[in-house]
Amino acid sequence: MTLLASLDWHFIREHIPEFARALKRTLEVAGIGIAGASAIGVVLGAVRAHRIPVLSQLAAVYVEVIRNTPILVQIFLLAYGLPQLPGHHIILQPFTVGWLSVTIWGGAFNTENFRAGFEAVPGRFREAGRALGFGRLGTFLNVTLPIGGRIALPSSINTYISVLKNTSLLTAVGYAELTNTGYSLESVTFKAPEIFFVLGATYLVVVWTLSILIRLLESRLALPEAR
Amino acid sequence: MPLPVGTLPSWVGPVAHYMAHDGVPETLRIAAFAVTGSMIVGIVLGTLLTIRFLPLRSLIRLYIEIWRGLPIVITIFIVFYALPSAPLIHHRFSPFTGAALGLVLWGSAQVAEATRGAVQSIPREQHEAASALGFGWVGRHGSVILPQALRRLLPPLVGLLVNVLQNTTIASIIGVTELLATGQRSTERLAYSSGDSHALAIYGALMGAFFAISFPLTRLAIFLERRLV
Repeated sequence: MTLLASLDWHFIREHIPEFARALKRTLEVAGIGIAGASAIGVVLGAVRAHRIPVLSQLAAVYVEVIRNTPILVQIFLLAYGLPQLPGHHIILQPFTVGWLSVTIWGGAFNTENFRAGFEAVPGRFREAGRALGFGRLGTFLNVTLPIGGRIALPSSINTYISVLKNTSLLTAVGYAELTNTGYSLESVTFKAPEIFFVLGATYLVVVWTLSILIRLLESRLALPEAR
Repeated sequence: MPLPVGTLPSWVGPVAHYMAHDGVPETLRIAAFAVTGSMIVGIVLGTLLTIRFLPLRSLIRLYIEIWRGLPIVITIFIVFYALPSAPLIHHRFSPFTGAALGLVLWGSAQVAEATRGAVQSIPREQHEAASALGFGWVGRHGSVILPQALRRLLPPLVGLLVNVLQNTTIASIIGVTELLATGQRSTERLAYSSGDSHALAIYGALMGAFFAISFPLTRLAIFLERRLV
């Protein structure tokens, strides 16, 4: 409590609009990352689960490379390495580096989540789908995806929370999201306790809210037999 | 150690030497500190999380939820920038200590959660048998329960090692000269001296180095999980 009382609340109130704008940027990048990671996860998860030749092996390489290297190095590679590609230099805006890096990262983790989910759907369900006259794609869309997607839901939402937390690393390439904004503000005002208290509390509120939403969603979307 | 630089461009030798001699040891030191600290703090907190005394359990739960919920950069910023001005502390940490402590806070929360699960997986009879043999709470857990729980804890601990190694790169943000920072400084130096930063090659090589260490460890964690759990 003495800790809270020792903070300069006037300073915090004065800078709320600035923090709010920064939070909006964090949520934008995270939102794109989450949408992108979902799309990659469903498609590549299906490719992996159905062992589609060549594509499945390529997806496995992508997943292992991303999961076994630090995301900060991935971000640097996108921001500073791509402009050096021989032939055609690719120079990305910090915003593009931001959403692209968390999308690629989240997509790799999500591929595994959805692969596990799709593989957990019993083979006889797919057979039943085929017996009803669905083609392979129809069976996937009507049987495997709705059931496997729900099995994958808890682990995929944990990945989405990590995607949101990982946007904080974009501070290293100077994208003015929440962490970077706080960091810059600290270097001119030296109000470290106030700034990092606000940042920490904001991240916790967002992350905890998402966790609670997951629990609610999980119980709503849980398969009948898991209830 | 002289590096084989026969066919490589001339900039590679000095950069590789700098990264191997300055960056690698620093990365390993932070990782060793963070893994050891996370294990000690995490196993103690995780074991305490299984007792019935609610106020203590709630405090530990709060600790876990806070340090698991915050991005690691924020935790490291809090330790490095904000803690020194907190009342009663007034102590500035070096970047190394700041980053290592931040990683311990995050890692211990992960270990605590895994330890709780591992301890609770040991059947109640083991507790009763240990009590019947005259062990107190500490002896019971130290000599009977934790040694058995360790088997279940081993795969997540290997996973923690992989994550800690990767997350040591975050220390570069507060100025620790670990592996990523040495790479970054090399690109800046090369850009200044020759106009070409060689960032693609340097960060690509860093990806390769981290992959070469992490991939076998990840496989090991999966293997252990199949064998032991």
